[in-house]
Amino acid sequence: MAHMMRNMRVPPNSASLAEAKHKTLEFFRMCCRSIPEIMEIYNLYDVVSPSQLRSAVAAEVRKNSNLTNPKVIDMLLFKGMEELKNCVDHSKQRHHLVGKYVVGNQGLVQDLGHKDQGSSNFLKNFYSGNYF
Amino acid sequence: MGLGLLASRALRSSRILRSPSNGGPTYFLRTIVSTPELNNADAAAAVQGNPPPPPDLPKRNPVGGARVHFPNPDDAIEVFVDGYPVKIPKGMTVLQACEIAGVDIPRFCYHNRLSIAGNCRMCLVEVEKSPKPVASCAMPALPGMKIKTDTPIAKKAREGVMEFLLMNHPLDCPICDQGGECDLQDQSMAFGSDRGRFTEMKRSVVDKNLGPLVKTVMTRCIQCTRCVRFASEVAGVEDLGMLGRGSGEEIGTYVEKLMTSELSGNVIDICPVGALTSKPFAFKARNWELKGTESIDVTDAVGSNIRIDSRGPEVMRVVPRLNEDINEEWISDKTRFFYDGLKRQRLNDPMIRGADGRFKAVSWRDALAIVAEVMHQIKPEEIVGVAGKLSDAESMMALKDLLNKMGSNNIFCEGNGMHPNADLRSGYIMNTSISGLEKADAFLLVGTQPRVEAAMVNARIHKTVKATHAKVGYVGPAADFNYDHQHLGTGPQTLVEIAEGRHPFSSALKNAKNPVIIVGAGVFDREDKDAVFAAVDTIAKNNNVVRPDWNGLNVLLLNAAQAAALDLGLVPESDKCIDSAKFVYLMGADDVNLDKLPDDAFVVYQGHHGDRGVYRANVILPASAFTEKEGTYENTEGCAQITLPAVPTVGDARDDWKIIRALSEVAGVRLPYDSLGAIRSRIRTVAPNLLEVDERQPATFSTSLRPEVSQKVSSTPFTPAVENFYMTDAITRASKIMAQCSALLKK
Repeated sequence: MAHMMRNMRVPPNSASLAEAKHKTLEFFRMCCRSIPEIMEIYNLYDVVSPSQLRSAVAAEVRKNSNLTNPKVIDMLLFKGMEELKNCVDHSKQRHHLVGKYVVGNQGLVQDLGHKDQGSSNFLKNFYSGNYF
Repeated sequence: MGLGLLASRALRSSRILRSPSNGGPTYFLRTIVSTPELNNADAAAAVQGNPPPPPDLPKRNPVGGARVHFPNPDDAIEVFVDGYPVKIPKGMTVLQACEIAGVDIPRFCYHNRLSIAGNCRMCLVEVEKSPKPVASCAMPALPGMKIKTDTPIAKKAREGVMEFLLMNHPLDCPICDQGGECDLQDQSMAFGSDRGRFTEMKRSVVDKNLGPLVKTVMTRCIQCTRCVRFASEVAGVEDLGMLGRGSGEEIGTYVEKLMTSELSGNVIDICPVGALTSKPFAFKARNWELKGTESIDVTDAVGSNIRIDSRGPEVMRVVPRLNEDINEEWISDKTRFFYDGLKRQRLNDPMIRGADGRFKAVSWRDALAIVAEVMHQIKPEEIVGVAGKLSDAESMMALKDLLNKMGSNNIFCEGNGMHPNADLRSGYIMNTSISGLEKADAFLLVGTQPRVEAAMVNARIHKTVKATHAKVGYVGPAADFNYDHQHLGTGPQTLVEIAEGRHPFSSALKNAKNPVIIVGAGVFDREDKDAVFAAVDTIAKNNNVVRPDWNGLNVLLLNAAQAAALDLGLVPESDKCIDSAKFVYLMGADDVNLDKLPDDAFVVYQGHHGDRGVYRANVILPASAFTEKEGTYENTEGCAQITLPAVPTVGDARDDWKIIRALSEVAGVRLPYDSLGAIRSRIRTVAPNLLEVDERQPATFSTSLRPEVSQKVSSTPFTPAVENFYMTDAITRASKIMAQCSALLKK
């Protein structure tokens, strides 16, 4: 797999939406196949499970599910491939992956809700700021 | 003035063309030709038509949308301004007639609240059959006068005056603080010549030291004498005057002397050039960078209307806003210059006092949890809430509801004393209203020094005394007045004498048509307060002070929160509640006496400044200051007004009512409101008058309903309620400028 990605180059443009869709699925499969290797390289066993990583990747892909322009999809696929290559080649460090795919967009300070359980919206807003 | 005026002048010389076919929309067409010959020709043609011509000029409204008041409809006269007929009351000047006709005449020395000087000559206009242009500010309008403001003669006169004014005015606009809001700058752009013929040296004048507030650059002065007239007519101090003659003429204090008026800052606003500017604001900002927020002053109980000018998160200056009923267009120095206190000593994080006596910053969650936990361990009757002098009505309502839900009814507002009379609204507000004081012809001031307690009320009294020579009697400690008064005595004994008619001043009161009695709020703290008020009631009854058409019985409050607190019923259940309290909630209260508080009491301080209240506090909850929140304040005459947020809150602070609402939820006694709107509908059920914003709500019942008191007045003399005019609350005590003022100006 790694050899597949070693010589990255811009693939030819997709002719149709169907082709772009197919490429996307291929890309997702490639990601799923490299996940065990990534877990190994970055030693992620204690923070995340392979299935969680898979759903993180799937969420990234689904974020762009509304796109219909094959050129745009190709561009995003190229960027995704680049990212995957960086991960597999150990071009990143552990915290890059932890930050982007394990902690996610919510950030490190996560309101898990156990403290504000049952409190009103007013109180939740109050804790976060004066302007609401 | 400036561009707007130029545009309006351009419009004025244009005519409305109504399309004759469809009678549809009106088109304004700017004609290039506005020569007087043409105008005259039009007017002459119109006059020739037999019926009095319907003016073919567009309908014009008075400058600033002013309304004309005719004291006597028979005395109306008609004058023509640029051919447009206007009806004005007799006795108005030509300048006022032009203003009613919608023509703004340029002026420097004329100010409608000061006497007429007529020395700048900028307001020259042409009057038909007059050999030369007349100074419109000093010329009374006569019936049938034909005034022309836009003729070559008037324009040439203005241009000439402008040239003379600029002859000795330095060209330092780029470093002048008035730049951008300067009358001379605007008017020289509008009316001045495009070139100068002046090649000699300009004169220079030595700057005067007028104290820590007013910066002088006397070379810029154009000798309009507005400041001199303001000082003697409004502020009531004869500090400023005119020295020398001709080109040696200058404004000064004769001998080196500071301006010792509490209204001195207003000379900055009335100075049409940059000769008198604000010292604390010097070189800080340009006026076009500032965002203005129309708000209310809370440093005293007058509720002066102010505009808070801010740049980003910083309040840069405070200037007055026109309100004829409250502060006219003046504000006191404290209001104008306390704003730097908003940047110092601010509380920005919730804090808890640790075992070592030091404060440690914590999260809101932890701070509220601790307060809620402690609150529940204490017997309800040992919980006390104190609202500070800067509290808004919404947060006081929330605090009262919270304490009542906890089972305590010990809540009061500082300054109201422990036995406030909250039953009769007429017993604690200014029933005459501030503007109503102008009708009075005799004053009796009881234990109040309005000059330091409410400078704007004092300015009204000064205005009345100056206009009608009203008699002023004063009972209280020796005090500084800027108008004629009789010092009747120092203690309440004098009141009893007046009540019984044994005092010489009682005849003055008896002969007065509209007598006014003003009782200071300092009396609230006296042991014999009920007896003093009973004596005042007797005086009122004997002298016909309260009639259906006149209510002259007033209380002059000290703090912005007092009237609203009494309206909302912030009355403690027991007067010894502090002595037995185990939990005290100070909502911005810094001046409440905590000496008798037991040592093991838990004190929560919610406020915006680290002031006196913080020294004893166990938990600090940072709140927003009045410049940062929306809140209702009721002033001493019973007029509710709203402050608006001008700048963002500091650090992790929250609005007062939000803190209390959040605390109530953490403590498990959730208050049923989540927004200002909801809290105001709660206020509606308690004090609906607080929702009538910007409208004075007079009291319904008179104080004659008060029960008889058997208390006797004590012989203790009255004490001054305000020790230092410049430092009365947490914000002003944190202000550096106010500290300088107290050091230099307090005698």
